[in-house]
Order: sequence, then structure tokens, then C-alpha cells
Amino acid sequence: MASPPEFQVTSGGAIALQPVAVARKSPSRLFWDRFKQDKAALAGGIVIIILVLVAIVGGPLAESITGHPQNTTYTQMTDAFGVPKGPNSQFWFGADAAGRDLFVRTMYGARTSLFVGIVASGFAVLIGLIVGLTAGFFGGFVDTILSRASDVLLAVPQILIAVGVVAACSTNKNGCLGGLLQPGITVVIAVITVFSWSYIARIVRGYTLSLREKEFVESARAAGAGNIRILATEILPNLVGPLIVYSTLLIPTNILFEAALSYLGLGVPADQASWGSILSDASQLYDVAWWLMLFPGAFLILTTLAFNLLGDGLRDAFDVRSER
Amino acid sequence: MSKQIRYAVLLAAAFALIAAGCGSKKSASSNTATKSSGASNSVVGTGTYDNGSSKKGGIYRIGWEQSFGFTNNFDPTGEYLGNAWGLYSNLMLRSLVGYKHLPGAAGNDLIGDLATAVPTPTDNGLTYTYKLRTGVKFGPPVNRAVTSKDVAYAMNRLANPKDGGQYSFYYTLITGWDAVAAGKATSVSGISTPDNQTIVFHLTKAAGDFNRRMSMPATAPIPPEIGKCFEGKPGDYGRDVISSGPYMLKGSNTASASCASLKPMSGYDGANGNHIVLVRNPNYDQSTDQYRKSYPDQFQFVVNSNADDIFAKVQAGQLEDEVSSPAPKTIRAYATDPNLKPKMIPNVGDRTNYFTMNLTQPPFDDVHIRKAMNWIVDKASMQKAWGGPIPGAIAGHVVPPVLYNNGLAEYDPYSTPNNAGDLAKAQAEIKLSKYDPGKTGKCTMSACKGVLAIADTRSVDTRMVPILEADTAKIGITLKMRSINGAYTTIQTPAKNIPFSERPSWGKDYADPFTFFAELFDSGAIIKSGNTNYSLVGLTPPIAKTVGATGAIAGVPSVDPDIKACSAKLGQDRLTCWENLDKKLMTTVVPWVPYLWPNNVFIVGPTVTHWNYDQFTDGPAYSSVSVKG
Repeated sequence: MASPPEFQVTSGGAIALQPVAVARKSPSRLFWDRFKQDKAALAGGIVIIILVLVAIVGGPLAESITGHPQNTTYTQMTDAFGVPKGPNSQFWFGADAAGRDLFVRTMYGARTSLFVGIVASGFAVLIGLIVGLTAGFFGGFVDTILSRASDVLLAVPQILIAVGVVAACSTNKNGCLGGLLQPGITVVIAVITVFSWSYIARIVRGYTLSLREKEFVESARAAGAGNIRILATEILPNLVGPLIVYSTLLIPTNILFEAALSYLGLGVPADQASWGSILSDASQLYDVAWWLMLFPGAFLILTTLAFNLLGDGLRDAFDVRSER
Repeated sequence: MSKQIRYAVLLAAAFALIAAGCGSKKSASSNTATKSSGASNSVVGTGTYDNGSSKKGGIYRIGWEQSFGFTNNFDPTGEYLGNAWGLYSNLMLRSLVGYKHLPGAAGNDLIGDLATAVPTPTDNGLTYTYKLRTGVKFGPPVNRAVTSKDVAYAMNRLANPKDGGQYSFYYTLITGWDAVAAGKATSVSGISTPDNQTIVFHLTKAAGDFNRRMSMPATAPIPPEIGKCFEGKPGDYGRDVISSGPYMLKGSNTASASCASLKPMSGYDGANGNHIVLVRNPNYDQSTDQYRKSYPDQFQFVVNSNADDIFAKVQAGQLEDEVSSPAPKTIRAYATDPNLKPKMIPNVGDRTNYFTMNLTQPPFDDVHIRKAMNWIVDKASMQKAWGGPIPGAIAGHVVPPVLYNNGLAEYDPYSTPNNAGDLAKAQAEIKLSKYDPGKTGKCTMSACKGVLAIADTRSVDTRMVPILEADTAKIGITLKMRSINGAYTTIQTPAKNIPFSERPSWGKDYADPFTFFAELFDSGAIIKSGNTNYSLVGLTPPIAKTVGATGAIAGVPSVDPDIKACSAKLGQDRLTCWENLDKKLMTTVVPWVPYLWPNNVFIVGPTVTHWNYDQFTDGPAYSSVSVKG
């Protein structure tokens, strides 16, 4: 339905200003109105919902449908030379280098990739939020220390350090830090978190620096509110939008980070499927086993693209100044 | 990228997934039509390839995968890498005794090389006297005749721990060796050089294989005037190795013979480098050497990190040969193409691939668990993971039969139908184990859950690990697999108490089973780092304390007396003794699951006119290869 005009022209051509009722909209309604116009973002959101469902039930469901447990090897799915065979009616995505069902492993890979991406991003956002809020709000010496620490992390060659940490934690029985970091998925999440929070911290710090000078903050302070109260009730609510946006953009980055670690053989254990580790295997065989590259690769592209589109859409919807 | 474009890509990706899913049905019929052979026997040929007549000249180019991987920077005193021995023995160094550089049993026949003949020991096997042939000269910049004192110098260098010897343990039976090793003497008293053409070794005890021990490259002559420049600097001599054979490092002829002005030769750019170039030694006299043909004018060994690229270049004639391991896809490509097939040459590798179980770590401190592991492993699938029968034969015991003159060829105490493993027999063993108190046929105790296992990160490991995990899970053992690039460092450290590893492989040092048993099962071989007795057979509490091993040390079985007894025997008695020890290890001690006797598969290029395998070095007989000029 079209919105009513705010003024009316009389038959004589004179403009007669009439009061017109304007529908009041809540911020969330305004957000949703803007967001739903972005078809790409909607599509991204739908794809993500599907992928999350795949991550939760896809692996077991695929096992149940095919009757192929994810770590069972099938000798009939490698030829006499040990080269895996391609898709057929029983193995829809073909087999991997060890003769396991690639369809089942790709479904389980969704769980690993999304879990690592979302959990690591969650930790990174939490740390980044605390650091950024503290640095931006208190400023001065605290800001200098936290901001420089964040800058140092941004300057570190992440993959190199990550390779070192993961390798070090994988060479003994008890992992690292007295057993706190166990080789495998926990190390991967820890490494990704360590190298991700600084981006969020910088963004949060920037927003906080701006927000703390706003009138409503001054007003709250004049009313006697303490720092914690101002942070909790005045600044933090205004950061929710940007945090959601940057979280959705961080998740695909971290999914790719996990894939890169797994590609280098430093990610999740071999019995735990991940798209990165499947792609790593594919690098040895892509010229004779195209399916190893295609399926996990397509899922990886689809996932990162969906998250990026959703993130872009959310940013546009939250930011009224943005142009479409 | 605009949002519209990304939207389109999103749709395209989704479509691609759907389309691929549909496409899978189309390709089903052709793929399912292929049947697995299931063959377990090995495929080896004559070890020889001919494609025209051999003649002098040309450059022989070899692609070397990943890195040289030398253990002592190509310094022969400590270099223990088999591929390096191929260069030394065929091209650069002449030890007192050597080999014919042929495939098969003939390739393990000892011949006099620097010595005129293989000596017969005297004094009840305690004295060996070698007579050096005349006419053998060092290459530049030394340019003089090789004498017995140069051999004695090399031996003294080997005895001195400061010079980096890595297999000195083979020579501790020479009188006075230990005194040098302990720093109490500067020369081995049991080595004498009555004249320039004679060298005598006095032993403290007889060893039936002493002549073979004198075939290894560390015993080849080193001129003291150059060697002294590198004393106490293990590995540094590697870039200035002085040739006594037909080829030398490029740049040797421009080097100085004085320590002050001696620079590394250009022919080798160091352990992290990417090339070795060998050119003819102008002082080499072909008439002194019956077995090296020395056809090419030059050898170029070039490191390439991409194995696919190496094999593509070999096929295209841009390389003649490779030091690499062809992947299953490469083996398939050559095995199924009649034009390529002759250029792929599989050879018996004198090597065993095995899974090692640490006798001190639960659940492998129970022999029934170790036996169950031998029953449950699907060796046929392991063989496939390596590429099928061409890369190797399924192993049934410790030492490859070729080293027993084909003794124990049919022996396999854990033989299963189609080599696919036998769950019933594995469960029967598990029921006898203390880790299955309920006699369920599965290991039910916590010791069997999350058992730390070390794997490597080679492509073959990624294929083997899932098979192994699935196999052990059938008997209730779940492995906590850690994949480490270069797993040996970890498993060679007893203090890490690694229960299980899928990585180990062992090849002979020379054609005698002693080179397996002494290194892999003797308690004397258990050391703090670089340990090769991974299973810790023969571990005692004092040794455990020294190396930092912990666990169930009491009751670890020992085969030290068996090794000592067998090593003193000669001829067939010796072989029979080793065979019995092999059986004892497989049925009583059970430290391993041997699964493959690998072949060394080589692929040669179209420009090669002759190639044959060298059984001693288990690599190409560079001394006999030839190339179109």
C-alpha cells in the first residue's frame, strides 16, 4: 500500500497544507522494512538457516539415508591403485582418498565449519567488545595500551603463528597450557579467536569514542549515572547493530581461516570432517577426482557468500545513511 | 563486487550444487563398473630398463622431491640418508668393499672396490686385512693417490663423536674404538696401516658381516689435509667432499687444498639448497673400476617441492629420473598406458613399513592387545592406500624375505582371508587380555579410549589413518590421532611415551638382517633422542631412567641375547638364527604390525637409454644409467 502524501494540492492550484497522519514505526520495524527490501540479504539469510539445519542434522541424516558412517572406508570405492571413485547411485558425491562417503563427510563438514566459525567469532566478539569498550570509553593510558596491543596482533603474520601454535599443541599428549588447549578443534578455535578479536576491538573502540561524546551520554552523566551504568544502558545498546553486522562478516572469515588451517593439515583431527581438510586431500587428487574439490568447495563458497550478503544487508538496514 | 553480482554468484553456486548432484547419477554406471583387483602380491620386474644403446655423454637430470633431507648435510661421516648413499656409492666415493650396482641378489654380492678383493678374516674372525688397489686417485684439489692412511683417517673421524658419525655403532667391535669415542684416545688402536696399500682391522669379537660394514660410505677414504679443516664441525665437509670415484662436486677443480682458502664448492648449495651438480673427476681411472660405467658427463639433482611437477617433467623429457614417491594416480597412469608402462620400474625395496606399539604404554603393554592389532588391521586396504601391488607387497613379518635369501617368504603368523583382517581372531585375543575383563571381545577399559597415536602428514597418511582408526575401533580401541609433519622427531623421543605410531619404515643398511634387529630391537639402541627402537623392546628400569621413559617397564621382553647370538654366526646358520628371531618377535614379543614391504618405484623419462636398480642403495644405479646425448 502506498503511503499517503504529507500535503495536498487544491483544485485551484494553491497549496493548502493539511495535517496528515504519519505512521509511527519502531526502530526494529524500520530495520525490518529496510532489510526485507534487500533480496540478496534475504536469500543469504535463508541459505544460512538451511546450512545451520544441515550442520545440526545433515551428518546423521546423511548417514541414515546412505547407510554409510562418516569414518567407514569402502574398498569398493577405490580402484586397484587406491584412487577414489566418483559419484554413483550409492555414493552421491563419490568417495574421498580413503574410500569414505564424501556426501556424508561434506554434511558433517558443515557442522565443523559452522561450529568453528560461529564459536570462534562469538569469542572474538566478546573479547573485542570488552577491549574496545574499555579503550574507547576510558581513553588515555588504558586506550593506548589496549589499542597498541590490538595493533600488534593485527601486524602479526597470523597463519605462520597459527601454524606454530597448532603444531606445538599437537605434539604431545596433553596439548598446551597444562591441558587447557587440547589438540584439535579447541586449539583451532583458540587460535582463530586470538587473531580475530582485534578487528572487533578497533571497531567498537571507534563507535565508543563517538558515542561517549553524545548528548544522551552527557545527560546521563549529569543525572548522576556512573561509568558502568552509562556503558550498560547508554553505549552498549547502541553497539548492538554494528556488532551484529561485523559478527556476520567475521563468521565467514573465520570459516575460511579454519579451512586454511585444515588445508595445511593443522586443523581438526582426521576423523572429524571439515571442508578445509577435504579440500586439502583434494589438492593431491583434483586432476583425477574432481568431486573432492567441487562439493566441499561449493559449500564453502555458498556459506561465505551467504554470510557476506546477510552482513551487508544488516549493515544497510541498521545504517539509515547508507545508499542502496 | 556489487550486491547484484554476488547475488548472481550465490544463485550460481546453489545451482552448481544441484547440477552436480544430478550429474552424479550420470557418471554412476561408468564408475561402478570398475572393480577392485584385491590383489595383494607385489609387482616387480627385472629392475632394468633399456631404450637404445648406452654411450658416453649427456646430462642426467633428477628431480628431488621436497628437500634433500640429508641427515648430516651430505658429509659422508654422518650422512645416513639412503638417497645420499646412492650418490656416494655410485658416483663419488670408493669404500674398501662395494657392490656391483645391480638389481636383485647380485646387487648384494660384495666385491673389492678400493680393495683388490673381499678379504677372508683370519685369527678366528678377529682380523681383516685389506689390500688397496693402485691407480685410485683423489679428485681435485687433492690430486694424489688414495692410501690406506686415508681410510684410517675416515675411520678415526667416524669414531670421534665430535665429527658427527651417525652409524658408528657398527664399528664399536674394532679394538680401541670405544677409547676414541670416549675421548681417551685420538686414533683407533685396532686399525693399522703397515704400508700405503694395506690396512688391517683387529676386532674384539667376531662379526660375520664385518666386510659388509666396511661397504658403507662413512668408511670411504677422506684426505686428512682436507678433513682436518672440518674437525669438530659435523656436516661442514658435505660441501667440500673430495671424490675418490668417477664424479666430483662441480667447482672442485677451482678449489684450494688449504684450509685457509677452502670455500664451499659450487656443486652443492647446502642442506637447504636446491641443487647438487656432479661433473667428471679428471683423476678417475676407469681401468681400476669394473662395475661403474659412468656414461653421463654430468648429473644434476634439483629439488622441486611439487611431486606432480616432477613427474610431468619426467614424462616430458625435461628430467630423466626422480627421487620421489609416485602417488597412486601416477602409478595408475603409467600402469594403464602401454606406452608409459615400461618407463615405470618397481623394485624390491629391502624395507618394511609397520605400525609400532610401545610395550610400556597401555593398552599395548598387554601382548594380547598387540596380537589383536595384528589380526584386525586390513593390510589389503593399507596396500591400496599406497597405490596397490605395484608400490609394495603385504608384509607378514619383520624383515623382508629377500634379506633371508627368500627365507620366510610364506611366513605370516597373522594371515587373514584376502589380507583384510580377521575380527573373530582379533576378538579372541582381546578376550585373553586384561583390558577385557568381561570377555566381550572388545577392549572395554579406559586405557583403550583415546589412545595417543602419531601419524605423519604425507598424502599416504591421510589415506591410511581413517582405515586404521576404523579397524582398531572394531576391537574397542579408539585412537587419538595426531598428525605431525615430520613425525619421526616425536616418536624418536622415548620421554614422550608415545603409545602408537603409523609412521615407521625401516630399510636395510646393508644386506644383512642384523641391520634391522640391532637398530630396532636391541636395548642398546634406546637413546634419548633419535631412538629407533620405538617399541622399547628390552627396556630396563636403568635405561628408562636415562631416557625418561615411563609406564609399565617391569616385564618388557628383551631379545638382546638373541641378537648377540645371531650376530656371531656365519652363513646359513646366521640367516636361520635371524629367521627364528623374526618368528619370536612376531609371536612372543609382538612389538609391531608390519603391513607392507614397499617397492621402490622409479619412473624414467624418454631420453633415458639405460637404467637399472642398485640393490645396495635401493635406488637408481647412477653408475650405469645413460642418456641420449
